[in-house]
Amino acid sequence: MRGAIWARALLEGARAAGGFPESVVVRDGTIAGQAYRAIAVVPHSGARFPRARAGEFGLDEGIGVAEAVRDAPPDAAIVSIVDVPGQAFGRREEAAGLHLSLAAAVEAYIGERRRGRQLFSLIVGKAISGAFLAHGMQSGWIGALDDGGIEVHVMPAASVARVTRSSDDEVARIATVVPATARDVATFARFGALDAVFDVADPLAPAAGEIERVRTAIDRARRAQLGTRAPVERLQSPAAHAHRALAREVRRRVDQAW
Amino acid sequence: MTPTALRRSYVESTSRERIAALADPGSFREILDPFARCSSPYLAEQGVVAQRDDGVVVGRALLGGRDVAAVAVDGRFLGGSIGEIGGAKIARVLERARDGAFLLLDTGGIRLQEANLGLLAIAEICDAIVALRERAPVVAVVAGRVGCYGGMSVAAALCSQIIMSPVGRFGLNGPEVVEQEAGIEELDARDRPAIWQATGGVRRVGQGHADVLVEDDLDELARALRDAFRASPNRERLSLERLRNRFAQEAPR
Repeated sequence: MRGAIWARALLEGARAAGGFPESVVVRDGTIAGQAYRAIAVVPHSGARFPRARAGEFGLDEGIGVAEAVRDAPPDAAIVSIVDVPGQAFGRREEAAGLHLSLAAAVEAYIGERRRGRQLFSLIVGKAISGAFLAHGMQSGWIGALDDGGIEVHVMPAASVARVTRSSDDEVARIATVVPATARDVATFARFGALDAVFDVADPLAPAAGEIERVRTAIDRARRAQLGTRAPVERLQSPAAHAHRALAREVRRRVDQAW
Repeated sequence: MTPTALRRSYVESTSRERIAALADPGSFREILDPFARCSSPYLAEQGVVAQRDDGVVVGRALLGGRDVAAVAVDGRFLGGSIGEIGGAKIARVLERARDGAFLLLDTGGIRLQEANLGLLAIAEICDAIVALRERAPVVAVVAGRVGCYGGMSVAAALCSQIIMSPVGRFGLNGPEVVEQEAGIEELDARDRPAIWQATGGVRRVGQGHADVLVEDDLDELARALRDAFRASPNRERLSLERLRNRFAQEAPR
């Protein structure tokens, strides 16, 4: 729901681009007079693969996103609207090679960015695991709504408890002492992973002023060319200095020894 | 023909033995070895004993005379999972590599205990692989007991060439995860023959998802690795047309 709503609301004068699976919403429009393509993966009950009907990132979604990215209008920047509960978990998906579908999307994003196309991401719901890796994480600029419905993690919460054979309480306790395992926006922002966080009263019905604030932030970031930054540049942020100090230290020591 | 008894098994070797056997003799220089005492500070709190190399061996080596980055992820430590330290090691050597890289991937993907830090690192690794492969070969080897899963399966799929053995498995979600998320009627994780048949090296090479199939033998792998460095990168693997055709074969009727 959130993905489709924001994909529809974010751009001015947006119209749907055709030729994609119904689970991949692609809209071309403008912000402050400049061209953008918004891309969202959304639930579609008629999707041909049953494990990818609730908004999961599946075989067709990876191809669809990759194509939407590669074939975006030449002057358009891309905004990935992120509301993905995870990748599709299925026997067919694994046999077919779901990882290649995700990799195709990742390759498309990286390729376009390296050719100079600006990439932006807006997390409006769940940003889980491989799905987020394939759709959103390669952007030079990542913003998120500040809302209790946002979740950033590598696995759905219930699965973490099952896999680690812990109680939900124990998983919640660990998230307070090991922030990397937390799921909320503020903690993810601590790592320098987010460029902006937006207050929105109701993410399902954003007000005009709230949408305008997001547009303004994206427009500013585009004018500053932030959309072409590589993921590694996030390590330069003050937040990463404080909370990814270990990664920075490891990289420094690799450089010393190289 | 080498008698079977003299074969050196990749599966039975450690990460350092694997790199030493595959790189030019004596050329591997490890960076941040166990004496550097670079171990994860996040594990003790979660009841796990850390390892002094974080399960990831990286360094610089020669391969057929090329100056390359060498990476090996040890499936024996926490399922070969990628956390903040291991992830930063891999990303940085790939960024520094001059004439290419080889990655021995025995990994379940992101380390659950360091969740989002692993996720951030793998996004960097993917970018580093694409940047490096534009100018030099980046070759992945998937031939260990764990296989190559999760975020690292996506990274591996971006490499110029992928070598597998029949033991190696290559997919996004491991069978246990699929069974847990989708139910045993979707997939029975104990049905090992079916799992290897669907996701093992023989099948993946047959599908064109990986490039070269070798036996579980370090000498054979060493030859295959040199060949892969000479081969032109596989640009067809992620072609949308090819994937579309492949996926159509799996669609429910």
